[in-house]
Amino acid sequence: MRPGRWRRAGRWLVGRLLGAVFVLWAVATLIFFAIRLVPGDPAEAILGGPGSQASAEALDTVRRQYGLDQPLLVQYLAQLGRLATGDLGTSYSLRTDVGRLLLDQLPGTIGLALLSLVVAWLLAIGTAWWATLSGRVAATVSSGLEVVASAVPHFWLASLLILVFSTGLGLLPPVSTGTPAGLVLPVVTLAIPVAGFLGQVTRDSLLDAAAAPFAISARARGESPSGLFSRHLLRHAALPGLALSGWAFGSLLSGAVVVESVFARPGLGRTLLGAVTLRDIPLVTGVALVSALAYVVVVALGDLAERAVDPRGRAT
Amino acid sequence: MRSRLPALIAATAAAGLVLAGCTSGGDPDASSTPVAGGTLTYASGDAEPTCLDPHVGGNYPQALVSTQYLESLVSKDANGDVVPWLADSWEEADDGLSWTFTLKDGVTFTDGTPFDAAAVAANVAHLQDPTTLSSTGYLALGKVTGVEAVDDRTARFDLSAPDSALLESLSQPWLAMESPEALTRTQEVNCESPVGTGPFVVDSWTKQQQVVLTRNDDYTSPPADAGHQGPAYLDEIVWRFIPDSASRYAALQAGQVDVIDNAQPDTLVAAAKDDSLDEIDAPRPGASNRIELNAGKAPFDDPAVREAFIRGVDVDSGIDSLFFGTAKRSYSPLSSVEPLAFSDESLFDVDADAANDLLDQAGWTTRDADGYRTKDGVRLAATFPVSTNQSIPAEQSLFEQVQAGAKDLGFAVTLEPLDLSSWYGALAANEYDLVSAPYTKVGPDVLRILYDSAGITPAPSGYFANLSQTDDPALDDLLTRASETSDADERADLYQQAQQTILEGWHVLPLYDQQNHYLVRSEVQGVRALPTVQAPTMYDAYKAS
Repeated sequence: MRPGRWRRAGRWLVGRLLGAVFVLWAVATLIFFAIRLVPGDPAEAILGGPGSQASAEALDTVRRQYGLDQPLLVQYLAQLGRLATGDLGTSYSLRTDVGRLLLDQLPGTIGLALLSLVVAWLLAIGTAWWATLSGRVAATVSSGLEVVASAVPHFWLASLLILVFSTGLGLLPPVSTGTPAGLVLPVVTLAIPVAGFLGQVTRDSLLDAAAAPFAISARARGESPSGLFSRHLLRHAALPGLALSGWAFGSLLSGAVVVESVFARPGLGRTLLGAVTLRDIPLVTGVALVSALAYVVVVALGDLAERAVDPRGRAT
Repeated sequence: MRSRLPALIAATAAAGLVLAGCTSGGDPDASSTPVAGGTLTYASGDAEPTCLDPHVGGNYPQALVSTQYLESLVSKDANGDVVPWLADSWEEADDGLSWTFTLKDGVTFTDGTPFDAAAVAANVAHLQDPTTLSSTGYLALGKVTGVEAVDDRTARFDLSAPDSALLESLSQPWLAMESPEALTRTQEVNCESPVGTGPFVVDSWTKQQQVVLTRNDDYTSPPADAGHQGPAYLDEIVWRFIPDSASRYAALQAGQVDVIDNAQPDTLVAAAKDDSLDEIDAPRPGASNRIELNAGKAPFDDPAVREAFIRGVDVDSGIDSLFFGTAKRSYSPLSSVEPLAFSDESLFDVDADAANDLLDQAGWTTRDADGYRTKDGVRLAATFPVSTNQSIPAEQSLFEQVQAGAKDLGFAVTLEPLDLSSWYGALAANEYDLVSAPYTKVGPDVLRILYDSAGITPAPSGYFANLSQTDDPALDDLLTRASETSDADERADLYQQAQQTILEGWHVLPLYDQQNHYLVRSEVQGVRALPTVQAPTMYDAYKAS
């Protein structure tokens, strides 16, 4: 290992870390002030939601207990201080430690998003393979499919899949219960739009690569069509898609809000939805921070993957 | 073959068994013998409670689940009569300033603590303790100054003024009895595992997922109108939260769940054609769903404008088409399950000509470029904030039809779909002219909360219940007298006059009862809605197959 390379890697890592801290701070600040711009009293949220007609004493007790009687700036700094020590606070609505709550919900959602990303890639590559190897008609059909897939909204797709595979065919459970079968519909719902998008990006560069001199020379060497696809073309064609995987993961996390509600899966998305409705500031902040962190990590991993596939990034 | 009012019509001790059977025609299992054992999965479309102890806060999602493990002093039967539950009998003092309850003998909480008069006193104290953060229960006990344990089985409620609504208040799940021993734990712990005397016990609560309830084998205290005695039939209830209406119904069809609540009109129509599903239609008590007109500011401070709006806008066709005949039009400020509800259909004949005349006479004679009426250069406009959390999609569509109907009269109605917090914010800021706000409470005393002028003064939170801003001293007097009389006939008469005053003052446009439909797989027998707040009880339920 040359020292220069380590230095570069170190600089990259420090840059990433500083960026991540900045992103987290920005998210915490934005959420803190944004949620106060919307009407609704957090003290009421704590007392079981707005309109619960809480008594004056109860409201006062709660405001004192949660420091809501302090000036906004004091509350903000106190919150940043707590967050800096890793304390995400106590959820207003669920009355439990936000950190513990998120730890419970995190694996389900991250797993769902990652699995969906893998399935999306498989679908995208599969379609691209078929389109490249099976001629003009296949190419037209697949590009049409990709456009449609990337445009369908999650809630519509979810309802359609339930209607066909649960209500109609009775093959899969409509409500996710933690069994592998229950995971199929949520994963497919999330994967299809992302697959459409990745497929479009991948196929464009695939066609470029297929026309490139190296592809022609490989074919002249007697490389089979599938060998050409997997050994030569894909490596080029996957690059833009890989760069977009971080973005795709982010969109999968936001898609989880819809998918987890429709399939009644516990997870971050559903937690966020409930928390926003109830003005549960600590919980909203917690989910946003954890999602931002996951996003930062996945983008960094995407960078690494890109470097692994593309030797140009590694060149001195 | 759906029966509209199963909870009302059926009665007697066998009610529980009959109810599940009466909801769909020709069910051969309706008279089958109960089978012990099995797990029932319930899917709720309501929000997951934030605390399983309904003393804390006090909302409907809590009532739904807590009815399985907590019990109240009294209940109501299908006729609307108050019946014994944890209390065997009760008596009001001659001056109306105290009520003495004789408690059921030999009842213990599921942690072994005996249920006695001291426990009743401890529960009332818990509800009235500001640190409990009770709102519903706290409000209901407004006139109660304290509870005295006269002896083990005799509890005396002392009141600051006579309260004709006390029994109805005490029947509500938000005032259920919990183990005083368990109440001494921290609120966080008590929220996760409240301890009552009910047929089921809270076993575990996996947040965002489910509550598991197991049978209380030592159960002895069913309400007087229950279908059987002794422990419940089911071993276990898995109480799940499935917010999406279509998924909830798909899960029911697939047999993943056995019972769902919050069944929507389209689902009800589909279920009516499905032999494997039964419906329980159980409108919530208290107020009907109605559009209220804000008399506190222009334009609805003018009774003629209110009358023109109510008589000029047709809601019948919208209710028919959007609810597919699953909701019956109401002409009362009260729910049809309230025995004292008073309806006056004749007031609500739609007459566009009369409405236009009224508006002309009220001075709204000129029209602006958009065709809306104006007066002194001001447009006849009404802001209508709509809670997207409380108004189901069908109801939101109905309000769009109301908007279109009002436009024909020259009213510019602006619909503002808002999430719950923003909606309450708009109401607290008096930024509304029309509003539809549900209110669930057992008994006609809900009228005092909603229409007494005292309800215009905002609570510390900014919330006020009198959203129509009805300010009528004569009505206040009727409602106060009704809440204090111990004479049943006088009470009924006073509440009828009060409702007449509200309707004839053109303060409300009643729409339909607060919709509350359960769908049950037909192999599940004995599920019924408890006629207090119409939360389901699984005490008599069993799985036939």
